[in-house]
Amino acid sequence: MRVLVVEDEAALRDMLKARLTEAGFTVDVAADGEEGLFAALEYPLDVAIIDLGLPKLAGLEVIRRLRAGRKTYPILILTARDNWQDKVEGLQAGADDYVPKPFHFEEVLARLQALLRRAGGWASPELVCGPITLDTRAQTVKVSGERVELTTFEYRILEHLMLRAGEVISKTELTERLYDEDFERDSNVIEVLIGRLRRKLDPQDELKPIETLRGRGYRFALSRQSA
Amino acid sequence: MHSLSRRLLLCVSIPLFLLFGVMGFVLDLSFRELSNRSLQQVLDSQMVQLIAAAELQPNGSYAPAARSLESALSTPGSGLYAQIRSPRVNTVWQSPSTAGESIAFGPALPPGARTFSRATERDDDEVAVESRGIQFSDDPASGQTLTFSVAVSLGPYQKELWRLRSQLLEIFGGLALLLLGTLALLLRWVLSPLRRLEREIHAVEEGRTDTLGSGYPRELSGVATNLNALLVGERKRVSRYRDTLGNLAHSLKTPLSVMRSALTGEVKTAGSPGAALGSEIDRMSGIIEHQLKRAAASGGALFGQAPVDVAAVASELRATLLKVYARKDLSIELAVELESQFIGDRGDFVELLGNVLDNACKWCKSRVRLTVSIDNYTFSRERLKVVIEDDGPGISEEDRRRVGQRGVRTDENVPGHGIGLAMVQDTIEMYGGSLSIDESPLGGARFSIRLPGR
Repeated sequence: MRVLVVEDEAALRDMLKARLTEAGFTVDVAADGEEGLFAALEYPLDVAIIDLGLPKLAGLEVIRRLRAGRKTYPILILTARDNWQDKVEGLQAGADDYVPKPFHFEEVLARLQALLRRAGGWASPELVCGPITLDTRAQTVKVSGERVELTTFEYRILEHLMLRAGEVISKTELTERLYDEDFERDSNVIEVLIGRLRRKLDPQDELKPIETLRGRGYRFALSRQSA
Repeated sequence: MHSLSRRLLLCVSIPLFLLFGVMGFVLDLSFRELSNRSLQQVLDSQMVQLIAAAELQPNGSYAPAARSLESALSTPGSGLYAQIRSPRVNTVWQSPSTAGESIAFGPALPPGARTFSRATERDDDEVAVESRGIQFSDDPASGQTLTFSVAVSLGPYQKELWRLRSQLLEIFGGLALLLLGTLALLLRWVLSPLRRLEREIHAVEEGRTDTLGSGYPRELSGVATNLNALLVGERKRVSRYRDTLGNLAHSLKTPLSVMRSALTGEVKTAGSPGAALGSEIDRMSGIIEHQLKRAAASGGALFGQAPVDVAAVASELRATLLKVYARKDLSIELAVELESQFIGDRGDFVELLGNVLDNACKWCKSRVRLTVSIDNYTFSRERLKVVIEDDGPGISEEDRRRVGQRGVRTDENVPGHGIGLAMVQDTIEMYGGSLSIDESPLGGARFSIRLPGR
């Protein structure tokens, strides 16, 4: 999952970047509104965290412009002025949720994951497709009740595919969401990771959870069980 | 007497009526004086004529010759009467005009005496009577004192007097009304800038306009200009104050966020220095939150601020909360009386309603209901009735009492738990409204709030 953090306070920005990376996100950062708007419009993001009090271009304006630019990914706002007028304005401008400062990182993470689930059409933090269960809070995967150990990248690919189960996701999109912008892209890595995932989830090759659509990408083929 | 023009009219009309009253009284008095004198003259001349016309009759009494009688004395009920009393022969002559009348001419008089009196004839007709006691030197029965009396009916005089009085009343009354009318028109014209000022201040109060217009007369233009400056200054001051508070909150909370995130990991170990620091950071942010919000709440209608459209705020908050609580299968029903308005600061109202609704959304299973109505039959500060209900677990009796208590501060609380409601309570107190909590038919808590509105 690729997330953009727009926050002018360097300490907070660095902390968010470190903790979100730790939690398995690919993180882009911006220190002011203009930089943030550029990143928000140009990068293939899954979600954005935007502080409302930004220099150069106010957070609300960034949100309005990126929504006007037909960006539909969820937006979480951070606000130091915890009042309803700001929340109403922020959500009217196009944000999806807010976290007041000072926040617990766990709260930000929980809200982010909830937004991502909702964007993928999931309501509960447990994604269940057939015998495969992915717990977004604990970041664990079980097949028929048996815990399956996955590496960080494997987990991230599976989470991405399952969140949007049924949709075709291109190899480029997967790559972009797994790596930072300056990472050297090698699509073979994705193929290798998908192969390892298939072996771990479906050693007998019976479930066939991940379909390959030649030239188009991958699709998580098992149907969703929880809403 | 709360109107300047009424006061002025009263001030002018009292001396006006007093003046006209005195003038009327003096005129009436002089007319009566005048008419009395002319009456006297009539009586005197009649008396002289009667004395001159009196002739000795064969029986020794005196009576005027019939031919020398004035026609009025010969006509019954004419209003002019005469009598001659001759005591020696015990005879009384009365003019033919007295036929059918009974006039009290008064007692017989000694020689040289002269009296004036008033007597009431029948039919309440008053007469003025003059009598004289006279001895004729050539009277055969010498020493006989004759009493000559003449009476004149006062009816015509009184009629004249009343006619004059009613004329005076008509003229003076009409004049007074004309003067007052003119004065009222003049006052209207003179006071029209004041009325305009009043209208414009009212418009500013209702938020229909934000400053007073120009073109006031010299005496008022200073007031209008200064009032405008005050309005603009006050608005700027409040918004600058709020901005400052917002910036203060921002600059305090950002380092707190950094501190809190730097502690991550250590906080979970109970008893560690990190855990202690963490809880102190929570306490600090709670206090900052609470006190800054309290300071930012204006707690009253800022002059020149439009009343708040409750329905608009409610639907904005509904949309926001549905988005925030998208993880919950939530329905927020709104039943807001059309055009109901909160009289006060919009920020305060949004904050208050947002907090209570947020609380309801947090605790409900799936239903939240907001009902707003206007109750015109109570104090103006309690006209807006806001009821927020949910189908959650409700609030225990003890907690309800705590929330209802005045002066219970929740500074010590963990953020997110209680600060919202303490804030709500503070705001309601500032506006002089009321808050009560009981059980909703939906199953959960019901907050009934009364605020200034219309």
